[in-house]
Amino acid sequence: MVVIDYEFKKKVMDAHIHDALKYCYQCNRCTDVCPVADLAPNRYNPRNLILNSFLGLRENIFGGDDSFNIWGCTMCDTCDEICPQKIELTGVFTVLKNISIAKGEGPEYYTIQASAIYDSGKAIPPQPAIERRREQLGLPKVEAPNIEEVKTILNETKLNKIINK
Amino acid sequence: MAKVEEYKLFPGCTIGNRIPFIEASARKVFDKLGIKTSDAAFACCPDPVGFNSVDHTSWLAMGAHNLTLAEAEGKDIVSLCNGCFQTLKLVNVELNNNEHEKEKINKILKGIGKVFKGSINVKHFVEVLHDYGPDKIKEFVTHDFSGLKVACHTGCHYNRPSEIVQTDDPMEPVKLRELVAATGATPIDYSEEMLCCGSGVGNTEEAPSMQMLANKFSSAVKAGADVFVVICPACFQQMDTNQKKAGTQSNNEFKIPILYLTELFALSFGMNPDELGLKFHRARLTDFLEKNGLK
Repeated sequence: MVVIDYEFKKKVMDAHIHDALKYCYQCNRCTDVCPVADLAPNRYNPRNLILNSFLGLRENIFGGDDSFNIWGCTMCDTCDEICPQKIELTGVFTVLKNISIAKGEGPEYYTIQASAIYDSGKAIPPQPAIERRREQLGLPKVEAPNIEEVKTILNETKLNKIINK
Repeated sequence: MAKVEEYKLFPGCTIGNRIPFIEASARKVFDKLGIKTSDAAFACCPDPVGFNSVDHTSWLAMGAHNLTLAEAEGKDIVSLCNGCFQTLKLVNVELNNNEHEKEKINKILKGIGKVFKGSINVKHFVEVLHDYGPDKIKEFVTHDFSGLKVACHTGCHYNRPSEIVQTDDPMEPVKLRELVAATGATPIDYSEEMLCCGSGVGNTEEAPSMQMLANKFSSAVKAGADVFVVICPACFQQMDTNQKKAGTQSNNEFKIPILYLTELFALSFGMNPDELGLKFHRARLTDFLEKNGLK
């Protein structure tokens, strides 16, 4: 039986700042121009993701064997440009990815990077070898971010819970 | 412009803490042109591909935090990176156009005694250089790159989503081409100019990422490109370090130099290749330097 998840449907609809998602008429331009769908047509299909999102068919998106159906997106924003209805598809996909991460189904790259940002304030923390190289190149030291402020912000947004910190 | 401006320089994590030679070339080029910048204790922008996919609210709050640092000095930000540019620009625009989101984020920032006002602008370094003017830049060129065929690769986050970033045409960008041409070099047409480098999907899976890169390389090589010129450190790393993998994936062999726009400018302004740290490129530049009389 097809289950419509209204809470999920509301989440994707609300996230969309222009509320244009409901005007999608499945013309497939997004999939036509998607460089990943071009290479892996059976595993990644942005049109399909949008369809299941606005119909609230949560089970068709999450919990499958292959999360590439969500994470195959390379974030090139080409679909956003081409969409005749001006749907910001990438914004919708971000909602799906956030849900996927919260369910523990995302690729580990993402949580590892978020963890580095939580700990050091930087996606790529400073390393002694690079600091020496900076000096050789005559570059000033990288000013260290205020890590306490970063942690306060990210505890407030509850990122620490999402990435188990 | 008569007004003396100073930008807050936002090099980003990848350039600052992994490939600082890019930052060296950018600072030298800015100095030469008289574009003033100063530093700040910025945290990660944070990454529009990575961190935003983990939690959109955390991404907005961290981006807003960085923006408040520049707002405190009343200065616009110039980013050396497509990713940082897109994040800071998108956060700035989203919060400025959505009172509800702005309130939510300011409630979070209250915990550290900061307020996002939305009082500054965020610029990509290509915008800043193009505003300065390709013709004016030409006056600084002492090493003419006539005859050099350049495949321009802007990368995705410089000009998209165009309604928000408003830097250039979303599918046929011209500013990078015009800046490259200022050095005497020729920007070539190649069929996969607008293809993503594949870095984003590479965080999930390698094969499609390498195939996209291989398709991009093949198309530029076929069109006779001598070098690529790029403006994003994620694209730079993908293209500079993965030539062998992309070759294996597609039964090809790729050996094509990848230059940052600021490196091309630095060389054309007569700066010494050794001082630019060009030896840290993974795709060797030896042949390119020799052929162009720079070694």
